[in-house]
Amino acid sequence: MNLTPIVNKTNSQVSVFWKSLRRNPMGLVGLAMLIAILAVAVFAPLIAPVHTAEITSKDIYNAPNSTHWLGTDDAGNDVLANFILGSRVSLIVGFFAAFISIVIGGLIGIIAGFYGGRVENTLMRITDIMLVIPDLPLMVVIIALTKPSLFNIIFVIGIFGWTTTARVVRSQTLAVKSRKFVLRARAIGAGNMHIIRHHILPLVLPILVVQAVLTVSSAILNESTLSFLGLGDPTAPSWGQMLNFAFSRGAMSTGAWWALVVPGFGIVWVVLGLTLFGQGLEQVLNPRLDTHHLMPGRPVVQSETAQLPSSEKILLDVRNLSINYINDDKAPARAVENVSFTLKEGELIGLVGESGCGKTTLMLALLRLLPAAGQIVNGKVFFNGKDLTALNEDEINAVRWKEISIVFQGAMNALNPVRTVGDQIAEAIIKHMPGFPHDLRLQERVVELLELVGIAADHKDHYPHQYSGGMRQRAMIAMALACNPQVIIADEPTTALDVMIQAQILELLDSLRKKLGLAIIFVTHDLGVVAEMCDHVLVMYGGVTAEYADVDTIYNEARHPYTQELLKAFPDLTKPKKKLSSIPGYPPRLDALPAGCRFAPRCPRVYARCHTEQPILYKLSDNHIASCHLLEASK
Amino acid sequence: MSKDHFLEIRGLKKYFDADRPSLRFASREMRHVHAVDGVDLSLQHSEVIALVGESGCGKSTLALLLMGLEESTAGTISFEGRDITHLKEHERKGLRRKIQMVFQDPYESLNPTQNIEEIINEPLLVHGIGKNKQDRDQRVKKALEDSGLKPADVYLQRFPHELSGGQRQRVVIAAALVLEPEILLADEPVSMLDVSIRAEIINLLAELRITRKIAVIFITHDLGSVGFFADRVAVMYLGRIVEIGTMLEVLEKPQHPYTKALLSVIPVPNPRLRRERIILQGETPNPIDVPTGCRFHPRCPVAMWTCKASDPPFTTLSKTHQAACLLLVK
Repeated sequence: MNLTPIVNKTNSQVSVFWKSLRRNPMGLVGLAMLIAILAVAVFAPLIAPVHTAEITSKDIYNAPNSTHWLGTDDAGNDVLANFILGSRVSLIVGFFAAFISIVIGGLIGIIAGFYGGRVENTLMRITDIMLVIPDLPLMVVIIALTKPSLFNIIFVIGIFGWTTTARVVRSQTLAVKSRKFVLRARAIGAGNMHIIRHHILPLVLPILVVQAVLTVSSAILNESTLSFLGLGDPTAPSWGQMLNFAFSRGAMSTGAWWALVVPGFGIVWVVLGLTLFGQGLEQVLNPRLDTHHLMPGRPVVQSETAQLPSSEKILLDVRNLSINYINDDKAPARAVENVSFTLKEGELIGLVGESGCGKTTLMLALLRLLPAAGQIVNGKVFFNGKDLTALNEDEINAVRWKEISIVFQGAMNALNPVRTVGDQIAEAIIKHMPGFPHDLRLQERVVELLELVGIAADHKDHYPHQYSGGMRQRAMIAMALACNPQVIIADEPTTALDVMIQAQILELLDSLRKKLGLAIIFVTHDLGVVAEMCDHVLVMYGGVTAEYADVDTIYNEARHPYTQELLKAFPDLTKPKKKLSSIPGYPPRLDALPAGCRFAPRCPRVYARCHTEQPILYKLSDNHIASCHLLEASK
Repeated sequence: MSKDHFLEIRGLKKYFDADRPSLRFASREMRHVHAVDGVDLSLQHSEVIALVGESGCGKSTLALLLMGLEESTAGTISFEGRDITHLKEHERKGLRRKIQMVFQDPYESLNPTQNIEEIINEPLLVHGIGKNKQDRDQRVKKALEDSGLKPADVYLQRFPHELSGGQRQRVVIAAALVLEPEILLADEPVSMLDVSIRAEIINLLAELRITRKIAVIFITHDLGSVGFFADRVAVMYLGRIVEIGTMLEVLEKPQHPYTKALLSVIPVPNPRLRRERIILQGETPNPIDVPTGCRFHPRCPVAMWTCKASDPPFTTLSKTHQAACLLLVK
C-alpha cells in the first residue's frame, strides 16, 4: 500500500468537512442565510438608516416609500432601522440562551449516559419532568415576577431549552460508551475523566454542534414569543417586540402590514436558515444518516442474440464478465475483469479470495443488484440459456429469488426485530410469487420451509431475538429457498458463527443440495470450508481470476503463487507444528491497480515482466486455468 | 506443579444477575448467569495458553475478570504471589501495565477521532511514563515497529480508518506493548480478519513472546488456529475448563468428547481428507439453567445415564494433561 504521511491533521479534517458540506445544497443555503443575517446584526449601527427629521403624527404607519423603504411603525420610527437593530437583540438572546442550554444539556446527557445506574435515573427523570412542564407559561411567570431584562430573558430561555439536548447527548454517550475502544481505554488504566475527555466527548461533539444550531433557533422563537407577549426588555427592542408593538397598537386595523411582516420575516429567515443549516450539518457530521442503497445498475453493453451454452447440464455460464465502478472525478475502477466460470446442476463451487477481491461485486452483478455506480461493461451471464445481462428490469426480477437467490453476508441482522420469523418468510413468498394463495397453504409452506432448514414448526411465531445466531442464519436460508430456486449464492454465510454452528450450517447446505438438487456458489475466505464442501474453486485476486480448477487440483497442484500463498497461510489441524506464513501486504485498491499483474506487489516469485504486463489466463488442463506469467512455458 | 506460578487462578467464578432487580419478586430467588463457574488455571512466564470454546462458554468473561474489568463472584487470582482478585482501581493501576489486552474487533477498539500517535501515546500519559515528550516519542515508535508497522513515522499521523484490519490490530497490539506488559490477553484477535492476515498477527504474537518474553492467553473459538504457537490448550464449556493439556496432547490425543467434536468440525484444507465430523446438535445451553451432573451431557454423543447425576472430576492423563469426563474415570 502506498503510504505517505499526512502532514496536517486538522487541515485534512476540515477539508473533508467542507467537501461533504458542499455536496449538501440545503445546508449551504442555510449557511448563506445565516451569514447574511449575522452580517446585518454585526454591522447594524453602520447600515441602519438614520432619520434625523423630527417625528410628527403624520409619520405613524406610513407605507413603504422612498424615505422609509419599509415604512414606519406606530411611533413613526423607520421599520427598516428597527429591523436591523432588532436583529442584534434577537440573535444575542438566541446564541447566549442556546449556549446555556447546550452546556446544561450536554453535561446532563454525558453524565447520565456515562455513569448510568442511579445517576442516570435521577437525571433523566428530571429531564422528563422538564419536558412535561409547559415551559412557555412558566417562562412567562418567571419573567413577570423578576424583571424583563435581557439577562433574565437569556437565562430563563437557556434553562428551559436543554431537555432535547440532554436526551440526544445521553443516547449518543450510551452508544459510544459501549464501544470497544472505551473498554480498551479502561484496560489501559484510564480513569473516568480521561475517558470522557478523550473518548466520549470527541464522538459526542458533532451531535452537540448540530443540537446547538437547532437550539439557537428555538431560543430565538422563544424570545420572540416572550417579547410578543410584552415581556421583552424595553431597552433592547427585538423583532418580537416590534411585533408586539405593531399588534397591540393597531397595525392590523390600519392595514400597516409592513410593521408585522418585516419582523416576522426576520424570525422566519433566521429559524429557517438555522434549521436548514442544522439538518445539513447533521447529515455531514452524523454518519448514521449516511446510507448506501443497493440499486439495480444498467448494463451498458447491448448483447447480441443469446447463444446456448454448449452443455445442457450447465445452469449458469459466466463469460468474460467485467464490472466497473464509475467514479465522478477519476477513471472508472475496474472492480472485476474478465471472469468466467460455469455452474452445473447440483454443483457447489467455491469463490475464494481476500476481502476486496471483487467476490461480492461479482455475485451482485449476476443478479444485477450492483450499486448505482457499478456497471457491467463486458461479458455475459447465461442462465438456462438466457443472457441475464440483456434482460430488462421486469425480466430480471423474474429470475431474482425465483431462480437464483442470495443468502447475504451478515444476513443474520437482516431480520426485522418486531415481526415473527414466520411472517417474514411468508412475506418473502408473497413478494416473489404474487399469485400465492393467502390462506392455510401459505402457512403450510412456511412450516415446510422451516422444517427443511431444521427449525421446528413451533418456532414459526417466534421473534428474531428468540432465535440464536445459528437459527437466524437457518431462517435466512429458508427465506432464500422460498421460491424453489435452482441456484443459491451463499455470501460468507458462516463467517460470524462459531465452529460448531458453522459445521451445522454447512451440513444443512450440503443436505439441501442433495435433497433439492440445488446448485450453490459459496463465497468465502475460509479455505478449509471450501476443501470440505466444494467441487470446483475459483480463486479471485484484485478482481481477476487467479486460478480456477476442481477442488483437488487447487489444493494439491495449485499453480498460481496467490493460491499457493493462501494455502500456506491457512492453519491445518492435521499439521499443528507447521508455522503459518502470511502474505505480506494487502489486496490492491481498485482505484490504484498495479500496471502489470495485480498480485505482483505481494508475489514471492515476481520478476520484471510482472510489473509491466498483465498475465493472460493459461489453460493448464481441461478444467484448470490460471493467470501467471510463469505458466507461459507450461501451457 | 511448581510454586513460582506467575499467574494463578483458583476456583474463579463470575455470576451475573439474570433478572433485573426491579422485576424480581420477593418470593422468587434471583437467577444467575453462570458465566465462569469454577476455573483453575495457571500461567508461567512467557507461556502461551490457548483458551478455546464456543460463544457463551465464558472465555471472554474470564479475560475481563483477569483484567479487573469485572468483579469476580468467588475464587482468587494471584499474580506474582500477590492476590489481585479484589483491588481498588488505584491499586490496580500499576498492575495494568503488566497485564494488557487485545480485543477482538480492530474496527471497534480504536477511537476513530484519534490518530495513531495519540492512540499509542495515551497509555503512557495515563500512567505517567516517560521523562519527556522525546522519551515518549521513542517508546511510541518502538512499540509500533515491534508490532510490525515500519517505519513508524509513516503511520503516526494516520487515522484508524486509513488502515486495513490487520494494520489496526497491530496498532491495538502496539498500544498494549507500549506499557511493556508481562501478560497479553488476546481475545479472538484474528477472528475478524482475513485468513491471509491472521497468520501475520499470530506470528507477531509468537514473536513477541520470544523477543519480549510476554506470556499470552490466546482466546479463540477456532482450535485450528492454535497449533504451532500455543504451548498449552484449555478447552472451556459452559463456564468450566473440560480439558487441558499441551498443544499436541489436546490436538492429537483429545480425551473429552467435547474436544473431540470441536476438533472434528474444523475444516481441514485438504479435499482428500474429508473426515467424519461429529456435529453436535443444538447450541450451548443457556448458562442460567446449567444442566445437572456433567454439564455437557445433553449434547454429548457418548453420554451414559450416570452423566446426568454426577459432575465428573478431572482425570489426570499425564503430568500436563487433564480432562473432566466420567468415561475417563476408572
